[in-house]
Amino acid sequence: MDASRNLYAILGIPPEATADDIREAYRMMARRFHPDANPNEGAALQFRNIVAAYDILSDPGERLRYDEARHALRSEPTPFSLRVMPSKRVLSALAEPQVLYLLLEVIPARQAAAAQRRTAPLNLTLVLDRSTSMRGQRLDKVKIAAHNIIEQLSAQDVISIVTFSDRAEVLIPATTVTDKTSLCASVSIMSAGGGTEIYHGLAAGIAECRRHLAPRMVNHIILLTDGRTFGDEERCLELAREAAAEGIGISAMGIGEEWNDQFLDALAAATGGTSAYIQSPKAVLQFLDERVRSLGNAFAERLQLTIAPDADVVLESVFRLQPTSQPIDVSPQPIQLGTLEKSRPVTVLIQLQMPPSTKTGFRTVARLDVTGDVLWSERQQHKAISDISVEIAHNPQPEEPPLAILDALGKLTLYRMQQKAEQALSDGRVQDASRQLENLATRLLAAGHEELAQKAIIEARRVSHTHALSQEGRKSLKFQTRQLLALPMPESDKR
Amino acid sequence: MKTCPYCGFDNREGVLYCEECGHPFYSQKDAVETTQLSQDAHEGFKGRMTWGTARFEEGAVLVIRIRDVPEPITLEPVRDIIIGRRDPLGGDPPDLDLSSYGAAELGVSRRHALIRRGEDTLTLVDLESTNGTFLNGQRLLPHQPRVLRDGDEVRMGRFVFNLFFK
Repeated sequence: MDASRNLYAILGIPPEATADDIREAYRMMARRFHPDANPNEGAALQFRNIVAAYDILSDPGERLRYDEARHALRSEPTPFSLRVMPSKRVLSALAEPQVLYLLLEVIPARQAAAAQRRTAPLNLTLVLDRSTSMRGQRLDKVKIAAHNIIEQLSAQDVISIVTFSDRAEVLIPATTVTDKTSLCASVSIMSAGGGTEIYHGLAAGIAECRRHLAPRMVNHIILLTDGRTFGDEERCLELAREAAAEGIGISAMGIGEEWNDQFLDALAAATGGTSAYIQSPKAVLQFLDERVRSLGNAFAERLQLTIAPDADVVLESVFRLQPTSQPIDVSPQPIQLGTLEKSRPVTVLIQLQMPPSTKTGFRTVARLDVTGDVLWSERQQHKAISDISVEIAHNPQPEEPPLAILDALGKLTLYRMQQKAEQALSDGRVQDASRQLENLATRLLAAGHEELAQKAIIEARRVSHTHALSQEGRKSLKFQTRQLLALPMPESDKR
Repeated sequence: MKTCPYCGFDNREGVLYCEECGHPFYSQKDAVETTQLSQDAHEGFKGRMTWGTARFEEGAVLVIRIRDVPEPITLEPVRDIIIGRRDPLGGDPPDLDLSSYGAAELGVSRRHALIRRGEDTLTLVDLESTNGTFLNGQRLLPHQPRVLRDGDEVRMGRFVFNLFFK
């Protein structure tokens, strides 16, 4: 019996609940999450857990055995917990739908994180583009970056390096980092030539990563490319989803202007990784360094979030704000959140639409369920659940939304505006696109981001004249507005 | 429903930033204590906020008072009103022709801006004018509608007038 799961929390009852309480709780949960009543994807996943918990707790013998096994585990501290902040605690009763935001923080417990002093062992695979266009400064910087990474790693870590152009070669087969000199020497012989086919590189990279795949390691692939792959994107995403299911995360970085950002975003989002835009070859060093450092700080890996809204609540969007900002698809669930670092919570902003309601009183909104593999813990998988409720009242006291939500959403809004402009443009709505960019410029200026605002204005003009964005402008607007999420507000905004 | 005071877009309740133009419905700066400015700090400050209503009701009329002109102009904005000056070389005159008030010397374009009737609101749109359109001291971005309020000051180039809802 797996006693590490808190079955009482799944049913939302205290451990001293009576058999009647358990039955009643199960009925209530079934009404909320049964697939016949609730079409949401996350609800179906929750319902499965609820049935499994009820099967054990409703049987007195099974329950006793579970309680005993659970008691034995008691001594271990809770490794992480959830904190959820809604944009409003009291909603007004309205005959129209309304929007509710939830800011979810997954927080590593202080004692647990302090107990884990060592850096997490990494099983790291670099998948590097060596197509012709990488020749020169780009490849040189990549080599230096790879050298730096090898220097940072220790004998507990495993590294492998795959290079690709039209085909893939394993430059360094997965190995523990003991002989740094010869590893660096292998990197130095990399030379550029050929086209860009990401699929081969990714497949070879995953194969290398898999060889040392271990639940107590951070298994991660960093893909670096400057080109666009043709015709194999869907196959790449399929590979990424398989890798995610096995516990491998993928981060992707694009250099220059040619690469397909939507594709790299999808690749990273499917695995809980990060995607980034690197304007200058110099920035390669910084990005890789940060990425490896963040992975080394891992406290829990393979963090997965299930969002189960009540049947009448609509899940509209999810955006990860920390440790790196990344838009996330609401489906498939569970949602991959990647790595939980020792000292930095994972933060996610969730947008829900509440149904029209004239009934007052408390009501449930959604259940959030996060699981993750704690790297140093005896029992590995940990689960934390939060059931969200709000009050509905006639003419409630006006309340200021929490600053944390305002701040995060303010920056996210900028990113969304840029995305909307891009969407308008790809639909051929040139006027809309240029208006959106002008709106974006106004808001960027108001927020004190003058340089980005200038870029937005230039792109707005370009759009109305040429009906197209420049590749450079498009990507830097996208990734820089996204990056604002990770940055503190500029000086001019503080005051 | 929450109508954006900036662009007039109808947002769902609970939205914190306009889903169309990104205008914040709550200001974070409100939470910070306001610095008391000395009296001179206001001098030379051209911008001005107005707090007139943005609601422009059915059957209401728009009164335009041009600076230094005693007689106001009254309009019924049932459709788009293009504001500008007549081109002496021909072409369609604008709906509101300001040429007799010295518009050309003050930098008004031939097709400078337009006033558009919304559901319950009026919006002002700059038509890529040469010298720009300013609403209460703030320059408008071309083609981006801004909601007008009773008492607003509009500047087109150096041509200044106020708008009143009657």
